[in-house]
Amino acid sequence: MAPQALDWRSPLRRAPLLLFLLVYTVVSGGPFLWVAIMSVRTTPEIFASPYALPSRFHWEKFVDAWTRSNYGTYFWNSIIVVVTAVALLTIIGAMVAHCLARYRFPGDRLIRFVILSGMILPPQLLILSLFQILLEYHLYNTLSGLILVYVAGHLAMTVYILEGFFAQIPQDLFDAAKMDGYGDFEIFWRITLPIGVPALFTTVTLNFIILWNEFLYAVVLLTEDDKRTLPLGIMHFMGSHQLDVGMVATGLMIAIGPVIILYALFSDTMIKGMTAGAVR
Amino acid sequence: MAEVAIERLSKRYPRSSEAAVKEVSLTVADGEFMVLLGPSGCGKSTVLRMIAGLEPITAGTVAIDGKVVNEVPAKARDIAMVFQSYALYPHMDVFDNLAFGLRRRGVPTGEIERRVGLAAAKLGLSPFLRRKPHALSGGQRQRVALGRAIVRDPKVFLFDEPLSNLDAALRVSTRNELIRQQQEIGTTTIYVTHDQVEAMTMGHRICIMDKGEVVQIGKPLAVYRDPATTFVARFLGNPPMNLVPVELSHEDGGAAARLCATGIALRQWSQRTLAGHRTLLLGIRPEDLHEDRREAGAGSDADRLVPLPVRVAAVEPLGAETLLVLTLDGLSAEVIARIGRDTRLRAGDRATIWLDTAAIHLFDPGTTRAIPRDL
Repeated sequence: MAPQALDWRSPLRRAPLLLFLLVYTVVSGGPFLWVAIMSVRTTPEIFASPYALPSRFHWEKFVDAWTRSNYGTYFWNSIIVVVTAVALLTIIGAMVAHCLARYRFPGDRLIRFVILSGMILPPQLLILSLFQILLEYHLYNTLSGLILVYVAGHLAMTVYILEGFFAQIPQDLFDAAKMDGYGDFEIFWRITLPIGVPALFTTVTLNFIILWNEFLYAVVLLTEDDKRTLPLGIMHFMGSHQLDVGMVATGLMIAIGPVIILYALFSDTMIKGMTAGAVR
Repeated sequence: MAEVAIERLSKRYPRSSEAAVKEVSLTVADGEFMVLLGPSGCGKSTVLRMIAGLEPITAGTVAIDGKVVNEVPAKARDIAMVFQSYALYPHMDVFDNLAFGLRRRGVPTGEIERRVGLAAAKLGLSPFLRRKPHALSGGQRQRVALGRAIVRDPKVFLFDEPLSNLDAALRVSTRNELIRQQQEIGTTTIYVTHDQVEAMTMGHRICIMDKGEVVQIGKPLAVYRDPATTFVARFLGNPPMNLVPVELSHEDGGAAARLCATGIALRQWSQRTLAGHRTLLLGIRPEDLHEDRREAGAGSDADRLVPLPVRVAAVEPLGAETLLVLTLDGLSAEVIARIGRDTRLRAGDRATIWLDTAAIHLFDPGTTRAIPRDL
């Protein structure tokens, strides 16, 4: 008789996997939990005993951060900048990706190369020239200026991800839609976009998280306090409060909030978009 | 309802040295079922895609009802196409898949519901109208693809190997279904396939293509009986026609072919036609070689049958009939005969096989073209 096949459902077989997952969860979730606990403790309490559980939940710290430390303004600035930039990135990126994936035209390879080569330029290299350009067009120290910089900076990656996905949609679907009487833009709108939803979720989530945490461009291109975005707000916080650890933790929790909500809503679709790709 | 006329249609892909389609001319009459048949890569699908408007035309014209449509975009040609992959929209349910083309044409909602319901009922899709394509079986998907073409009531149907993704049993039933639908609706149809059985059973006429060119157009049985070239002779028929080289001798009574020491009188060709030839390719279909002289049913005209001494290399019983793989002395190629299932011949036997001279075809070995009978 042949030896019995390994059964991965047996507890002994699963033990190493469970152990790995446990360690991974502690390593990745531990710091988050620590910050979350600190966000409801006061700074003196934290200094007295950094790892202790809260003796009393200081929820009022969130109100404090929001009202007295200009956090509300930072939050709304971030929302305006990131939501607008992500919306523009998604629409423009999807159109570019659709064209590059679907049409052969003179110079298509060159255009793809130029767009995608934008990915390899480090932001530090561009920041001086961007500063100069924004200054000349009176966009320096404005939210719209920052939005434009974000869109330009992340279009390459967006196009790269979307084109990879769109190129896998069978050509027959587009031909069928043409035979059904649809024009090029309608095909983009009614075929590519609905089928590409998983990929779109992927780029929306990625762009949102990256831009929500973006620091370098924001710190250089925004100077007035009431124009600042959240990442700058936290830094600003550290300076004026002389490393008020408790309040920094509260600020971080406010900043992380939208990202967590986004993950909770879209993580399933996003993983599908990154792994599956196939349509049929 | 429309006539489709193709004039000297050519296609050359950029960065390709040879044309994919070379000066194809073809007219499909109103209501006719035309099959484009050929091996893969022969350009038949490219012709279809040029008719559809999905592929730019390099040279020549496509005309529908006498109007040249070269510059008319696909969406405005009023043609429906069924794809090999079915190309169902994966994000829409069956109803929306069927209604997609009607919505674009501004058909009122009530009318859309009526036509989709009618098509769905006709194709047995009514219970699945709210299902997405991924929840359907292969045969059901195929019927949705067909339904999508039918509801539009277009001028022309184009089919691009629509049955090749189905299993054998389903292919036969769907084939019959397609024939029935086309007879009922009567829309001009152009059907691309590499399957000779589909071509023979479905087409009013078939157009055989090879290497981007039309080789022969005609009714299925006419093409089978009188193949224009050795390519058609080998491509139509399973197993294909036997082609063996023969020497010609010219005698008083007429020309005769010498096949391995056996003389075969060529009574259907005049001396004049064969005068210029020394060697020819003799074609004989497997079913025109007989094991038994009586079985051939020659009857009154017994000298139509010529005996060939052969050696049986292999016996392949297929059930309804049996194939014999035969070798002839002095001939390197093997010859296949299709005979009754009750044969007692075994591999290694020596036997006599009767060749029906009335069923002989002759081909010019240089041009591969058939030499037409003229007596």
